[in-house]
Amino acid sequence: MEIEAGTSKKQDATNADTNPFEIIEQKILALAQARPKGISDKDLIIEMPDLPTVQRAQIINKLLSQGHFDLFKQGGSLLYRLRDPSKAKIAKGADNEEKIVYSIIEEAGNKGIWIRDIRFKSNLMPTQLSKILKSLEIKKFIKAVKSVAASKKKVYMLYNLEPDTSVTGGAWYQDQDFEAEFVDVLNQQCYRFLEKKREQMNSCRGGPIMARNVTFASSKEVWKFISDLGISKVKLSVEDLEMILNTLVYDGKVERTLSGDGSILYRAIEPLLDSPGLIKSTCGVCPVRKHCCDIGDVTPTKCQYITEWLE
Amino acid sequence: MSVMCRKLCSSILFEHFGQIVQCVAEDLFKHGARPLELIRYATQLPLTKVKEALCVLIKHGFVRYSQAEKGLEFSLIYENVLLVLRYPKYMFFVKTMCGDESEMILEEVLMNGYITASEVITKAYKKIEQSPSGLQPSVPVLKEKFELLVKNQFLIHTVEERRNEKPDFILPNLNLTAIIKKIEGDNNSDPGDSKIYWKVNFDRLIQDLRDQIIVSAIRRRLDENAGELMRQLIFLMYLRTASWAHTSNPIPLTEIKEAVKKTNYPLLTHHVDQYLHLIEEDSSQFLKRVGDSGGGQFSVNMKEAFEQLAWATLENIVMERFGSKAARIFRLVRDKKYIEQEQIQQLAMIPAKEAKHLTYTLLQENYIQMQEMKKSGVSAAPIKTFFLFHIDLNVVVYMEVEHCYHALYNIMQRREYEVNSNKRMIDKQLRMQTLTTNLKEHGATEEQLAEVLTKPLQSNYLQIADMMTPSEKQQLDKVQNTIKKLGITELQIDDTLFLLTMYLRYH
Repeated sequence: MEIEAGTSKKQDATNADTNPFEIIEQKILALAQARPKGISDKDLIIEMPDLPTVQRAQIINKLLSQGHFDLFKQGGSLLYRLRDPSKAKIAKGADNEEKIVYSIIEEAGNKGIWIRDIRFKSNLMPTQLSKILKSLEIKKFIKAVKSVAASKKKVYMLYNLEPDTSVTGGAWYQDQDFEAEFVDVLNQQCYRFLEKKREQMNSCRGGPIMARNVTFASSKEVWKFISDLGISKVKLSVEDLEMILNTLVYDGKVERTLSGDGSILYRAIEPLLDSPGLIKSTCGVCPVRKHCCDIGDVTPTKCQYITEWLE
Repeated sequence: MSVMCRKLCSSILFEHFGQIVQCVAEDLFKHGARPLELIRYATQLPLTKVKEALCVLIKHGFVRYSQAEKGLEFSLIYENVLLVLRYPKYMFFVKTMCGDESEMILEEVLMNGYITASEVITKAYKKIEQSPSGLQPSVPVLKEKFELLVKNQFLIHTVEERRNEKPDFILPNLNLTAIIKKIEGDNNSDPGDSKIYWKVNFDRLIQDLRDQIIVSAIRRRLDENAGELMRQLIFLMYLRTASWAHTSNPIPLTEIKEAVKKTNYPLLTHHVDQYLHLIEEDSSQFLKRVGDSGGGQFSVNMKEAFEQLAWATLENIVMERFGSKAARIFRLVRDKKYIEQEQIQQLAMIPAKEAKHLTYTLLQENYIQMQEMKKSGVSAAPIKTFFLFHIDLNVVVYMEVEHCYHALYNIMQRREYEVNSNKRMIDKQLRMQTLTTNLKEHGATEEQLAEVLTKPLQSNYLQIADMMTPSEKQQLDKVQNTIKKLGITELQIDDTLFLLTMYLRYH
């Protein structure tokens, strides 16, 4: 143990002897890594008071030229921020245009950016830009993702990023198509579950409030039921299921309440009213009511709809 | 008051009172309050006819007169005309509450507008005598029933409008023997209530129908017991609150318990507190807890209740007309108050194209409204404008009321048309009916009757034209079914109309 510790120390010493610059470099890089927001000259002076100004400037310049740092100006003082390694990678073997386009795409994050916006931001010619994009795509620095908002719109983002739900649409989209049937099936199943809960009410003997409380189901319970059913190929989150349950609320079939511990409870309810008398008549659902009059083509006496309904 | 409403009133009056009354009322509709001379001039009817028509209209409470600078002016109260559609409902309600005789009494009063007690009893007596139902007419029973109706405030004194008296329900002392004498044909006997006229207390009947809606809504939402509790709460509300107040004065828990004990619902008596809690917590908000003194004070919120019911009605209408997805959007917009198109399709989880289509259909049909929001200080570029969807409940309700008028008018027109186009056959059937009864009265046996009816050629009494062929019979059945169906529909549409007018009355 002792020997080992001794040798490592020795190694450190030799390293320091051979290249004192590198040690300082490593130190600065470590410092920059600890502060992702960037470090200023002042920070460096505080951290390494024994480093002469000339030497510090030399080291910083070297690091900047190697592409380890980005230079920013904030509030009158200079800031050095560490570049992430993927970016460092592109620094090698890429021309300036590619770098600019890359940084524009990087800025857009996982929401992606549309080709037209890249063109405006970079001021590049369309043909040139598409060439650059293609080359970046081949090198697997970026990827094109189809957005659900507009099916023909491609957005570009960095290769390693997971697209935002606003781009993919979340669990409800497959290949940019909204899976209406899937949603409908889930909607029905959730309702079936809550209905079953409601049926339990009749067998409850603990007074009306108890009976009502039986009918409540938390979103977690419904989620578990749906997961166990195995109707979904994709993994659904509780939040996804809450969206489905909310559609049931908007269908007027289910009521939503907050429970004491902050979770959301759902229960199936009966509507207040039967379907109103107006729409039991043909005139209530008449598609040509606007044209209906005493004279003309649509009149109550020769109305085809009423005749059919009376048959 | 819209064109549709005018047409509807006009056809109601035509159906029940004939052409002259319709003509006079139509004139009042068009021009508002006006004196007799002008009505005569506009309608081109003889003065006596106009007077007669006005008399009928005033008697039924459809026309009001007021003293203007130059003599009397007449004006039409169209709401009262629309009430005619509901007469069958009132009669049915009274029948279930007070029995068959009461229904007949009410019918007589409705037919006459206003009438004295003795007269109505006489008329009802004669009617029961003639009717085939097994009822035995009896003056004391009828008087009792009349008193019951008055006690329930279904009937009310007619009071001259100028005297601002409180409505009174004091019964006159009726001379029963005199009434019996009168029925037997002695016109000189005095039943002792001349000039004390009674009319139907519509206000009270409307309230009862209103309460029925509330109770049945709670029954649907919760259960039978909760419905009964709601009924009791409304009874208690009557005791302490003006009849059309938006919310009732607080009702203490002790009194609710007291009232519930008298009902025959053991489960309800056992769980009063819990049921109250349930109704209060329900999203329909019919009941509010307003204080804690005396074990809790509760107040019935009629205004809120009808808002909820109107919403429910509209949601149902949207659902039936445009499908459940549209109803989902409608509820979503209601829930979020103001919402953008983008959010609608996200939250309702409907594919973008369909969601847009449904939203704009609803917008086009005026079920939802659109509000434009411009960012201030920028040019009118489309991207700077938000389009928010929202629902103006009053607008939609007014629209649906119009819709109800239209539907009712159409159904009435159709019914009239069906009756007219088959008039010959219906008349024929009536003739045959009278003939059969006549024959029966003259002692013809069933066999003879059958012979007469089936062998027209041998019959001396009848001509061939008066007999019914099988195809005619079939046709007649069909027509009668049609008319019945249309009649039922009319009542159903009126249900919706009633609910929506109740909402408008409270808001």
